[in-house]
Amino acid sequence: MHNYLRNAFLCAAVVVGTLGTAQAEVNMVTWGGAYAVSQQKAYGDTWKGDKINWINYNGGLGEIRTQVESGAVTWDVVDVLPDQARTGCDEGLFEPLDRGMFVPAPDGTPMDQDTMRALPNDCVVPNIFWSYLAFYEEGTFKGEQPSTIADFFDVKKFPGKRGIHTWPNALIEMALLADGVPVDQIYEVMSTEKGIDRAFAKLDQIKEHAVFWSSGSKPIELVKSGETSMSLAYNGRVGAAILSQGEKLVPIWDGQVLEEQWFTLMKGAPNAEAAKKFLVHISAPQQQAGQAKWINYGPMRKSAMEIIKANEPWHNTGVNVMPHMPNRDDVLATSIFSNAAWWADYGGELKERYTAWMSQ
Amino acid sequence: MAGLVFTDQSRLPPSPFLNNVSTMPTASANPAGPILTVDGTPLKTSLERSLKLSKLRAVGLVFPPLVFLIFLFVIPIGSLLTRSVDDSLSNKVLPRTLAAFERWDKTSEPDEAMFEALYLDMKAAEKLDLSKLGTRMNYEKSGWRSLVKITTRGLKRIEGPPYKPAMLKLNKRWGDIAFWQSLGAMKDPVTFGYYLNAVDLKYDGNKNVMRVNKHRRIYQLLWWRTLLVSTIVTIGCLILAYPVAHLLATLPLRISNLLMICVLMPFWTSLLVRIVAWMIMLQQNGVINDSLVSLGLLHDDNRLEMMYNFTGTVIVMIQILLPFMILPIYSVMKTIPPSYMKAAQNLGATPALAFLKVYLPQTIPGVGAGCILVFIVAIGYYITPELVGGKDGRLIGNLIAHHMQHSLNWGLAAAMGATLLAAILILYWVYDKLIGVDNMKMG
Repeated sequence: MHNYLRNAFLCAAVVVGTLGTAQAEVNMVTWGGAYAVSQQKAYGDTWKGDKINWINYNGGLGEIRTQVESGAVTWDVVDVLPDQARTGCDEGLFEPLDRGMFVPAPDGTPMDQDTMRALPNDCVVPNIFWSYLAFYEEGTFKGEQPSTIADFFDVKKFPGKRGIHTWPNALIEMALLADGVPVDQIYEVMSTEKGIDRAFAKLDQIKEHAVFWSSGSKPIELVKSGETSMSLAYNGRVGAAILSQGEKLVPIWDGQVLEEQWFTLMKGAPNAEAAKKFLVHISAPQQQAGQAKWINYGPMRKSAMEIIKANEPWHNTGVNVMPHMPNRDDVLATSIFSNAAWWADYGGELKERYTAWMSQ
Repeated sequence: MAGLVFTDQSRLPPSPFLNNVSTMPTASANPAGPILTVDGTPLKTSLERSLKLSKLRAVGLVFPPLVFLIFLFVIPIGSLLTRSVDDSLSNKVLPRTLAAFERWDKTSEPDEAMFEALYLDMKAAEKLDLSKLGTRMNYEKSGWRSLVKITTRGLKRIEGPPYKPAMLKLNKRWGDIAFWQSLGAMKDPVTFGYYLNAVDLKYDGNKNVMRVNKHRRIYQLLWWRTLLVSTIVTIGCLILAYPVAHLLATLPLRISNLLMICVLMPFWTSLLVRIVAWMIMLQQNGVINDSLVSLGLLHDDNRLEMMYNFTGTVIVMIQILLPFMILPIYSVMKTIPPSYMKAAQNLGATPALAFLKVYLPQTIPGVGAGCILVFIVAIGYYITPELVGGKDGRLIGNLIAHHMQHSLNWGLAAAMGATLLAAILILYWVYDKLIGVDNMKMG
């Protein structure tokens, strides 16, 4: 009984204590796994300010909207996908930010002009590019090796199953590219009913051979276990397997689809001032470059890419990381930058059509 | 229980009121007047007061769970139902446009008056409301979102009438009659559109119900599949659980306790661990396929597909929900005296007949409870189908989660949730008619 009382008092003291110091911390919400670790090392360890609480979530705006609408906001900085960044800002879930506070590039270019893609709104802070790409394991195919996205869709030339994800993003683009649509006309073609039909006709060619995945760790398993001969995956997962685990995987850069990843500040964030300082810190070129030491996602800021190029070998394992960057110069010509505005318009409809296609 | 106490008069403690009545000093003085207690108040009032007190005490005891229920059940479900029919935003933001829409013949090209109404509405609206509306309108027709956004941004460049050419210059899609027609589906503040969407139907511009484009039909399929999976899982669980529960109820205590732990162990294990274990067992290069191939029962090229599809979902869900079936059946079987079966056989019944006529009917309350429990949990399941469902094993719950988390179409998610709730209530009602809810024993 005595012990119980003492514990209760301790608990109360802790609760009161945390309430008292709550202002001095930043709640940083991100995706977990190796990605979160890279952020903790590159952003957290170099940060001299207030304590950072790293929180994991599974994406989506559901939780964010619930917090904002109920007025009980507990998160500060959120790491979001392109569609979240747009819808969230449109719906007033994220705070528009003063663009003058961010660190310019070493040559004086303001941050907003230092990014590889134009900013969609004033809520976002540059983070990284990642991509969907195809890959296989060395030794899977004899003779000619797959090298283009068309090869991924060609099950006659390169037999075996294909791992693809359970949502349509990137797949539609890849299917059209494999069907011969030039990179710069992809979204034009996708905006027509015929274009979408064409993409699904191409997808039909691998449907019988498709194994569907929904969690990012799955593709590596599928290919390693031999369940599929090739799979689509997040480039960072393939890179981590190669760079950190020494796996003999081969990424096919042709036809990769690049996606933006942004940081945003929650509307009504409880620690807004500290969080803004933290956002300035993590979007600075040095920190942007720093995260590539730990994972091969490409910084959005051009000046950060320059820092990496000038300081190779940059990866923490002592190898060059540039050949694994999704947004390096020599692969951009055959890559597609996902058009988030297009997906905001047609994503819902396409998700339904894709789900129906998957189930038939 | 309550009835018992009051009918069994002999067990009642001597009541103070009744005793007092017999010794009341005023009773003989006024035989026609009301019976009074010692302190002079009428017996009726005193009794009422005491009853009121005990009622108050009862309410006091019920109060915390009642508050709990209101806050965690009634209010959320109420707001869910409201969300599923609420379409007031378009009326709030576009009152003039919708009025102009009513006057329009829905087929000719929109005239200047409609464009003027639209311009004035958008000019007067808050930016945040406009972007929310763009999201809402995009559910009816893809493309609204960017159209509203582009127009909002370009609005200040429009100097004055005529508005039609100016708007068309901002974006030529304003000339596309299909966008205007889609307004018809959003013109009423209360809509059943989300419920229609949840079964692959929609309103056209004249609020006639029609089917959606054939490529997008997915919800009906998922509803049927969800019902099918839930039914298969319920039957599968019943077939597996009945003998196990019987063993548990009849084996000597020492062994049955051990068996019970075996039943409960997976129940206590994390859901994700169990799912991953099944992945290792069932996948193409998993334990089962590997064993079958190495035993020569299966050719290496013909490995069974048991994971990331319908089969995978059913197998894993049966295993996960099995304890929900075993426990209620077991608790009922435990109360059936073994002598009944012996008596039936003594009287000449074969073991099969004795089981059918004597044992089985007595276990029905447990079977009913187990089936209802498993079915209701299964019908709303989504974590397992998400992880092992792959191409054709995903259920309606997955789409609800998608619309809550990702598409933010909470209206549709709410409508699907409400439909699911209605399905469960109907099921409960049918069960009550067929077997009787009073008969159900949860444990």
